[in-house]
Amino acid sequence: MTKKEKPNGLTRRELLATAGAATAAMTMGIRPAFATDTLKVGFISPRTGPLAGFGETDGYVLEVVRKALANGIDIAGKTYAVEILDQDTQSDPSRAGQLAKDLINNQAIDLMLVVSTPETINPVADACEAAGVPCLSTVMPWEAWYFGRGAKPGEPSPFKWTYHFGFGVGEFHKTYVSQWKLIETNRKVGVMYPNDADGNAIRANLAPLLQKDGFTIVDPGAYETGTTDFSSQIALFKQEGVEIINTFPIPPDFATFWRQAAQQGLHRQVKIVQVAKTGLFPSGVEALGNLGIKLGSAAYWHKAFPYKSSVAGVSGTELADGYEAASGKQWTQQLGATLSLFDAGFDALKKTPDPKSKEAVAKSLSTLNTVTIAGKVDFTSGPVPNVSPGPIIGTQWVKAAEGAKFPLDYVVTENATDPNVPVGATLLSYNG
Amino acid sequence: MSLVVSPSMVQRWTRLSRRAAAAVVIVLLGLAVLPGVLGAGAIDRLAALFVYVIMAAMWNALAGYGGLVSVGQQMFFGLGAYFTVRLAETGLDPFVAMGMASLLVAVVSYPLSLVMLRLKGGEFAIGMWVVSALTHLMVNLDGLIQGETGRSLISLNAYAPGARRDIIYWLALVAMTGLLGGLFALLRNRTGASIQAIRDNEEAAGSLGIDVTRTKRLIFVLAAFGIGVAGALWLASATTFQPKTYFSVQWTAYMIFMVLVGGIGRFEGAILGAVIFFLIETWFGALGVWYLIGLGVVALLFSLFMPLGLWGAIETRFGVSLMPVGYRLEIPPQSRKD
Repeated sequence: MTKKEKPNGLTRRELLATAGAATAAMTMGIRPAFATDTLKVGFISPRTGPLAGFGETDGYVLEVVRKALANGIDIAGKTYAVEILDQDTQSDPSRAGQLAKDLINNQAIDLMLVVSTPETINPVADACEAAGVPCLSTVMPWEAWYFGRGAKPGEPSPFKWTYHFGFGVGEFHKTYVSQWKLIETNRKVGVMYPNDADGNAIRANLAPLLQKDGFTIVDPGAYETGTTDFSSQIALFKQEGVEIINTFPIPPDFATFWRQAAQQGLHRQVKIVQVAKTGLFPSGVEALGNLGIKLGSAAYWHKAFPYKSSVAGVSGTELADGYEAASGKQWTQQLGATLSLFDAGFDALKKTPDPKSKEAVAKSLSTLNTVTIAGKVDFTSGPVPNVSPGPIIGTQWVKAAEGAKFPLDYVVTENATDPNVPVGATLLSYNG
Repeated sequence: MSLVVSPSMVQRWTRLSRRAAAAVVIVLLGLAVLPGVLGAGAIDRLAALFVYVIMAAMWNALAGYGGLVSVGQQMFFGLGAYFTVRLAETGLDPFVAMGMASLLVAVVSYPLSLVMLRLKGGEFAIGMWVVSALTHLMVNLDGLIQGETGRSLISLNAYAPGARRDIIYWLALVAMTGLLGGLFALLRNRTGASIQAIRDNEEAAGSLGIDVTRTKRLIFVLAAFGIGVAGALWLASATTFQPKTYFSVQWTAYMIFMVLVGGIGRFEGAILGAVIFFLIETWFGALGVWYLIGLGVVALLFSLFMPLGLWGAIETRFGVSLMPVGYRLEIPPQSRKD
């Protein structure tokens, strides 16, 4: 800076003296007293780039958590200051891995928290597993997290440091069966599963389960993301007379597919359009215009969840209202999901006798059994070690009541995966 | 040669370049012992720098010396990583798998060169991109990879974090030294002269009796191998293999940036470019979109106003060459008068 030094700033001599003292202290292995009393928690999420929708609300959640932890936390009779180091992956998996290494190597974090999508979570979890740093994550199908990172079915878990909670194929299955039985249909399901992480996991594991429950699956085969012409799939669905559509597309693919379907009249024959991965956030659904109304969805969190955040003490409604007041935007399901990660992470820290020991924190994660704002997290009874399955609640986008602040409303239509969540509305037929 | 009768002299090594060569040896020895001195973060980043140097040098060899501009080199980067995952899955030690995967990339690139080298200029560039995209899709079809789900190289977890980091660092250092050394030796011998003759004028080179196709193939396979090594090293350091990340065209964009800024067709240029890119990424990477726009603008300005890159400008201005791959004519002062 070319500005003149402020009178109350450090003079060059003072700076040199301080730096010298600090260097001397470091070389002699003396650490300032406060350093040992600070818990450093890394937080990585996609805040910009194609996945920015997921990270949009993270700034607010961080604010809430930092405020709640401003006076530190008490663990085993000792008060620790808390420093949360948040980083943005820019939706780039390579960058996610590098950020993780930077936090581990240069910031010496005690716990890593990472949220949203395989592109964000897997590289970070791998970096933590490689370096021996405890890591907790949520918001991606757990199968892609566990098997996609090289674990094999039927063999002991290869992971010692990384833990994940949240929905998987089993929860989708329960939710879809429960949701699709709410309306009388011919039970013919046209599926559009892309050739990617979620698409392949769903095709291999979910489709057979749905068939067992009496649904006929009409599958035109995997499509590559970025496909611009879906006429053949649409023609097949029309010919088979499907009344339910189920798809796991990225948002631009769904917009292309569903606009073409509307042009070709498919939307008039279907009663349920069940989308996942797309239609999670209000802004994306609003962008679809009238075609977005009455889309079926599934939520990993909803403001109607009856739990309180163990870190911040807020309820779902308080969190959603707080966000709307602070940002002027509509609440999203990501709010509660991100906060639940802090709930679970800090609960694991609180339950360990020594939060500065990475071994102890990892052990605490492996036996964690707690309730977060998004429901139960329990690593003692999962389908595989390192995983705690979580709810995914059937929902629907509907037109908001007259005079509401926002054009769309997001309502709970079923609660098979967490009966504590109150059902708020009946499912409406898409073509009704 | 009229070398004897002329007062001027043809030189390869100058005093400066001899000193530079000695300095390179000292620097490499210094780098080799760094893991004992520096912290984990710095070692990790330096390994990334070595990978960048390899990529820049290989793209430079291909485009700067071989005259083959490719925008599909990410194919070899991706294949290096993919083959490593595939081989490691058979129970092979991950580090052995990395070496074998790199060789496999070279083997695959040979038949590919038979087809691709028939294309010229822009056709070759775009053709390589198309083949790269195709390779990406084929890798996605592998049941082990499961589309974009990918697979992590978790067999590396058998190594303790510190040892693993140091091994990857040393492997990257050895790979960089070996590839640069090999390229340097290649460019200095007869083949090097052929390569540069082909770059300057393919027909003329052919009419002088140079086997154009064979020479081009050599450089194509070498570049594929080198970038395969880079991909395997990157995977070892990142662990996660997600096809989209490795087969992304951004890798080739980075290579082009490094070579354009450093100096295309200059041996030192690629290394300088890699160091500059590494520093820019370290300092400005957090700026996101603006960082990428900045990279683009810098590359654009360089290609408009400094087409020889930084090292090219230094070389023309001061007449220095640290890593001499060509010959230089030294004219004594008195003969300059006539």
